[in-house]
Amino acid sequence: MYSPSNTDKRNYPANRTEKRPDHTLIPPCQAACPLHMDIREYVDLVAQGKVMEALQSIRAGNPFPSICAYVCTHPCEEACRRSQVDKPIAIRALKRFAVEFGGDRVVQTEAETRYSDKVAIVGSGPAGLACAYYLRMLGYPVIIFEAHTEVGGMLRVGIPQYRLPREVLDTEVHRLNQMGVEIRTNTRVVSLDLLFELDYKAIFITIGAHQSLRMGIKGEESPGVIDGATFLKEVNLGLKPSLDENVAVVGGGNVAVDAARTAARLGAKNVNILYRRSKKEMPADPTEVAQALEEGIKIRYLITPTAIERKNGQLYVTCVRMKLGKPDSSGRRQPIPVEGSETVKKLDSLITATGQVPQTPGEFGVRIGRGSTIQVDPVTLTTNRAGVFAGGDAVTGPATVTEALAAGRMAANRIDDYLQHRYPVVSSEEQDTLTGELLPETIEMIRKIGRIEPPMLPPVKRTKDFAPIELGYGWEEAINEARRCLRCGMGAEIRFQDKCATCLTCIRVCPYHVPYLDETGTVKIPPDQCQACGVCVAECPAKAIVLRNPRDIRNISEELEHVYKSTAESKNKPLIIGFCCQYGLFGTGALGSLWRGTKAGVWIVPVLCIAKVDPEHILRAFEIGAEGVFIAGCGEQCARENTSAQVMQRVEKVRKVLKAIGIEPERLKMFIPGAIEQISGFFLESLVKQEAKE
Amino acid sequence: MIVAEQKPLAEIMRMLAPYENVLILGCGTCMTVCDAGGEREVTFLHDALRLAQKKSGDVTHKFTEYTIKRQCDPEFLEQLHDRISGVDAVLSLGCGIGVQAIAERFIDLPVLPGVNTSFMGMTKEAGIWDERCSACGECRLDDTAGICPITRCTKGILNGPCAGAKNGKCEANKEMDCAWILIYERLERLQQLEKMRRYYPLRNFRAIPRPRRITSNAVIEAGESDG
Repeated sequence: MYSPSNTDKRNYPANRTEKRPDHTLIPPCQAACPLHMDIREYVDLVAQGKVMEALQSIRAGNPFPSICAYVCTHPCEEACRRSQVDKPIAIRALKRFAVEFGGDRVVQTEAETRYSDKVAIVGSGPAGLACAYYLRMLGYPVIIFEAHTEVGGMLRVGIPQYRLPREVLDTEVHRLNQMGVEIRTNTRVVSLDLLFELDYKAIFITIGAHQSLRMGIKGEESPGVIDGATFLKEVNLGLKPSLDENVAVVGGGNVAVDAARTAARLGAKNVNILYRRSKKEMPADPTEVAQALEEGIKIRYLITPTAIERKNGQLYVTCVRMKLGKPDSSGRRQPIPVEGSETVKKLDSLITATGQVPQTPGEFGVRIGRGSTIQVDPVTLTTNRAGVFAGGDAVTGPATVTEALAAGRMAANRIDDYLQHRYPVVSSEEQDTLTGELLPETIEMIRKIGRIEPPMLPPVKRTKDFAPIELGYGWEEAINEARRCLRCGMGAEIRFQDKCATCLTCIRVCPYHVPYLDETGTVKIPPDQCQACGVCVAECPAKAIVLRNPRDIRNISEELEHVYKSTAESKNKPLIIGFCCQYGLFGTGALGSLWRGTKAGVWIVPVLCIAKVDPEHILRAFEIGAEGVFIAGCGEQCARENTSAQVMQRVEKVRKVLKAIGIEPERLKMFIPGAIEQISGFFLESLVKQEAKE
Repeated sequence: MIVAEQKPLAEIMRMLAPYENVLILGCGTCMTVCDAGGEREVTFLHDALRLAQKKSGDVTHKFTEYTIKRQCDPEFLEQLHDRISGVDAVLSLGCGIGVQAIAERFIDLPVLPGVNTSFMGMTKEAGIWDERCSACGECRLDDTAGICPITRCTKGILNGPCAGAKNGKCEANKEMDCAWILIYERLERLQQLEKMRRYYPLRNFRAIPRPRRITSNAVIEAGESDG
């Protein structure tokens, strides 16, 4: 059936998308995020300088964005398809920019109590805090029991302060208190039965994995040998363990790297990490490893201690060289000692960081599985005991903060299901995730813009104290970095296939060579290649193509109607309407200066790239009474090089019509400014002159 | 494909002047492909006409818009029934065939042509269309290497090139290729140059009775058996 075109001018074709409001494809970054945050959306908002909105978007998907902004291991960046072009978007750093400049610190969260069923959370690590946050949002009274003197679990005792400033954590804890979450520190839970007796209806066990694994070598108990988890805990709780000058750290994970960098900050001169496999197998975050090397820490590969002896206050550590054998059950190659390769190292301290496991009290009566982790149902998160749920490192073994937050959120939802006697609602509707490699011909047409790294403290300054080492973006860096996003999955689609006349215009105008004619003679726009520039949408003579993100174009018509209503009362003349690109620094309010200091009524219609401005929009602007209309692109920062040429063709088309109607074509102008003054000065003046002539 | 060009706005406004309620009707086939009267052009023209009205202060006209798949088939025109009630005229952005089809189907309704139907042609590149066929009714493209001298030779001569060809271009337009040089070169490429030696008698223009009609054999046979 052939659909009619719209007779009401205010109904642009995008209105028809209401039937399928959520038809965008999930981008790979979002799919990789344990919290499934709408990364594409907030990066896009940062690119427009809309930090408050970006923060809003971030908060919708993350209970503690400020924490993630510092410590997230950003699997999203590993999934980012921009890495096929040059380097991935610096998503974590952009999130930090958004939470800092958007004012996350002062966000107030409120929660009201809707239910009387009390929930107890055992452990105040990221999973426990997240669970408390979401349970309060759902309306449950929540109390957290924490065995340590301070709140935060690994966020407090595990992660060094140079990676996560404690004020950030304190702010989040304070916010939870404001929401009505009670946190009892110094309170070790010994019996779940007791909690049930105290009328808690559900319990969430999230006690983390704090118990260091022993290496099982002779002399491990000697003074001067300390395990990584205990070492970090002592430092983080304000103790200063004495290490002296020569320190070695055994292990290759993040705890080993954290311990080594912490040791350097405590004054150790020579810090060596001893790892029994090679660089390739090392599980620690490569960025952290690189930073550790910058700070003067050395990493010795294929080596492991086999015995420790303490003589005259010194440690004599026997080490053996390793070689790699066949892959073991973890898929990594098994290290095998090389016979006769023993050497003895003289050290002051040795830190062992060879893995951690949860330590669940037997009195809890929950079933323990592999690696001392608590066994739970993967869907309901319930343990073998009714009303007892578990999550976080206690279930998974050592994992990331973001994974713990995701576990906490899921637990809150499952506890809600349990308390409301609902069968767990697990979404069966899997949304399509955008996958697929960018084709070489697409990559070729994408403008190469290098990744902008957030500035860091110089390495020599870093090891002096525990100050945060990453300094964070300023406006310009953040916005330019965010503009690199390819907006995967938001691109164009031929929504109204019945209208498509197979005219091939889209194939001819696409700057990225994306649309193609398939073997049946049908035009296809592969969503994994489309760069969402909007050119084909504005050029399709049949209006068969829409963008998967209808906001982009619908906003233009909505804004125009807003201007129409607002200007009815406005006395400022002449009315000038400008379609202005919102991307880059250009969109961040520099344009606001236009209508300050001038008596003209200048109205800005924000557009996400001027390539999306349709000739119809321009005519409509004149129809609602504009004396002059201008289109202002973002110039050199534009993601493409020939945007203005295409828009200029449309401008000429409209000028021709204006002339026929008797409106001077000069009343429509296009600018690709570096300079805002160009618009306010030249254009306004010429308009005022014209007015005077009339 | 049929190629057309939208009429100048001033001419369209003059045609519309006597009518209050006008339906702007687009065509979803050839006119869409040649950018003369698809849905985008219909909306753009609608916008332009409204703006023109506002500028002139004469706001007596009311416009509606619609685009159908093809104006040259009666079945598609049936879809217009609801939309033409209360309409004083239809401004058709279909080709001349579409305009006439509407006139034939809705006998009491004035129908106005919004485009100048120009030729049968093909897309050269985005936004450029070239004439290629004259619908002479006796196709000789096999003899002329797939290049039509009737359409592409300014003089339409059947035995070319004439003496006006210079450097492969036509004397009438130095930008334009001489069709007969093109034919020669392509015959040479196809190793069929002997076709250049043949003499083609003049076409008999009187032999074409207009308007033409084609009746399929099946229809003819069905008609005979009826009779």
